[in-house]
Amino acid sequence: MRYRILLALWLFSDLALFIAAYALAYFLRVGFIFSTDFPFWKYIEAVILVAPAWLAVLATTRTFHPTRNQMTIRNALYIAYASLVGVALMTLTYYFRFTDFFSRLLLLEAFVISAGLVWVWHMLFNQLSRIILRMDPPVFPTLIVGLTRESKALIQSLNANRNPLKPVAILDGHGTSEKEVHGVPVHGKLNKLEDTLKDEKITHLIQCSDLEQSLNLLSACRKRGITYVILPSVLGIVERDERVESLEGRPVTIVSPKKTIWNWFFR
Amino acid sequence: MKAFILAGGFATRLWPLTEHRAKPLLPLAGKPILSHLVEKIPAEIPVTVSTNAVFAEGFSTWKRGMNRANLEIVVEDTKKDDHKLGALGATAKWISETGLTEDLLLLTGDNYLGFSMEDFLVAYRPGTPLLAAYDIKDRAKASVFGTVILKASSSGMGPPSPTLPPMGEGRSETINKKINSPLPPRGRAGVGVGAVLAFEEKPAQAKTSLVSTGCSIIPKGCLSVLLDFAKSHPDNVGGIFEEFLRRGIPVECFTFTEPWLDIGSFPAYLEAHRLLVSGPPIVHPESRVEGSTLKGSIVVGARSKVIDSTLADTMIFDDCILEDCVLRDCIMDEGCVLKGVDLNGKMLRAGTWLEP
Repeated sequence: MRYRILLALWLFSDLALFIAAYALAYFLRVGFIFSTDFPFWKYIEAVILVAPAWLAVLATTRTFHPTRNQMTIRNALYIAYASLVGVALMTLTYYFRFTDFFSRLLLLEAFVISAGLVWVWHMLFNQLSRIILRMDPPVFPTLIVGLTRESKALIQSLNANRNPLKPVAILDGHGTSEKEVHGVPVHGKLNKLEDTLKDEKITHLIQCSDLEQSLNLLSACRKRGITYVILPSVLGIVERDERVESLEGRPVTIVSPKKTIWNWFFR
Repeated sequence: MKAFILAGGFATRLWPLTEHRAKPLLPLAGKPILSHLVEKIPAEIPVTVSTNAVFAEGFSTWKRGMNRANLEIVVEDTKKDDHKLGALGATAKWISETGLTEDLLLLTGDNYLGFSMEDFLVAYRPGTPLLAAYDIKDRAKASVFGTVILKASSSGMGPPSPTLPPMGEGRSETINKKINSPLPPRGRAGVGVGAVLAFEEKPAQAKTSLVSTGCSIIPKGCLSVLLDFAKSHPDNVGGIFEEFLRRGIPVECFTFTEPWLDIGSFPAYLEAHRLLVSGPPIVHPESRVEGSTLKGSIVVGARSKVIDSTLADTMIFDDCILEDCVLRDCIMDEGCVLKGVDLNGKMLRAGTWLEP
């Protein structure tokens, strides 16, 4: 419930922000008056019509995903891309609705303001929501399977960045003498899986080792409606140069030889 | 003599097959591992199986199907691995509670013993602890077991000690009469008895590849030593033989060459399956196999369906469905449904559903 309320607030605030950004662009371009040559109400009507479509485009970039870190260049580029589509939609909508054009500079300003405002707001909202989502009891209690160098680094990173996925328990297929890692208790071996999933109300399971048990962990997750995550290091991919792509419609993990930046687009 | 079988472990290494059943109750060649063991014990020897509270119900069900009057289940009141009494602790508790005054045949429930239990009992000299040992021919692997060094040989399976009487001579007449079988002749291929020089429980560097197999006889006169030792070492079953030797009590060793399998892991379980199911596939009469190729060791449990699939060295428990699959070296727990998948070397959790 906490997550749904936050998500609804986020979506509505984004819509409001998009409309406000365009209104600000209007006043910056026209001056703080309601022009009769270029009526504000006609303009804002087109913006209101476009806003949901812009939000849908933004959602396709998965920027609202709870685990997305908003403070990355990639995320900023996604928001800029959605804003650019928003400007295009606005132009088309205004023309089709009123068979008229208006200032090109206004469109440029609307793009810059909407992209900038939305990104800044997303970063702020992200910080706020991460704090709220991790409050006890956490919204996304997460089970870590496998105690390895990678899993320890992951736990530290999730906690340091206040990621909504809050590690609450660790299981290790081979057993370990460690009782806790960065404050997260080690519950034991995989024979404690069912009890841990039930008692801790786990919503996410991150497999960090024990590759031979991936089918069984996945099976347990499917039965309980838990989201299953596997680290590439479980497959031996430790250089962080992997990416998930589609091969004839099937998702695949790809590790390509390191090339120039252009290869990112074309290979 | 009374037999006491240790079956109180939580078998974490065989997860998920042991998620809802104890390791000794896992099927092997069509029946539970424990059934193979209990059936080897002469009918007149009362058998007690010790388990924990988590798996108690499974053992009660198993007992009902065993058709053996002198079979008893004792339940250790523990539900967590770290709350266990320990194998020796559980044995000591049972001895104290029952006031045992007879020799004790002590066995571990997850071992498959290929040798004749009658040969082992005949080899027992009253008053001298006896343990069964097997040469696994690999010192590196021996370091995870209790290793036995015989007086006559420093490694491997040595010949019986010249200081000992031939097998059968001076040994339990009562048992000889009861089992009513000829004594194994001295020097019979693969079987021997020797005096133990040293016993090392899980040594860092094994000096021998002869390992203890979880089958031993503790004479009634030595039970007090066991009770005393269990207080400080409740988990160290093998350590009792070190303790006997430390106190100057001679220990004898029964060696054999028939198969011995310690079923403690997935590879070991699969190996045991391959060894015991070497003939035609074992398919339950209530199961259906159609248009499929079965290679190597195959067991198909009750009410399962295998259609248009290829199986090699695979064990399928009850109520599974396989359609258009290729499985090699796999063990499927109950209620799995697999359609159009290829798997190699997997243990599948009960109720797994894979259908691309």
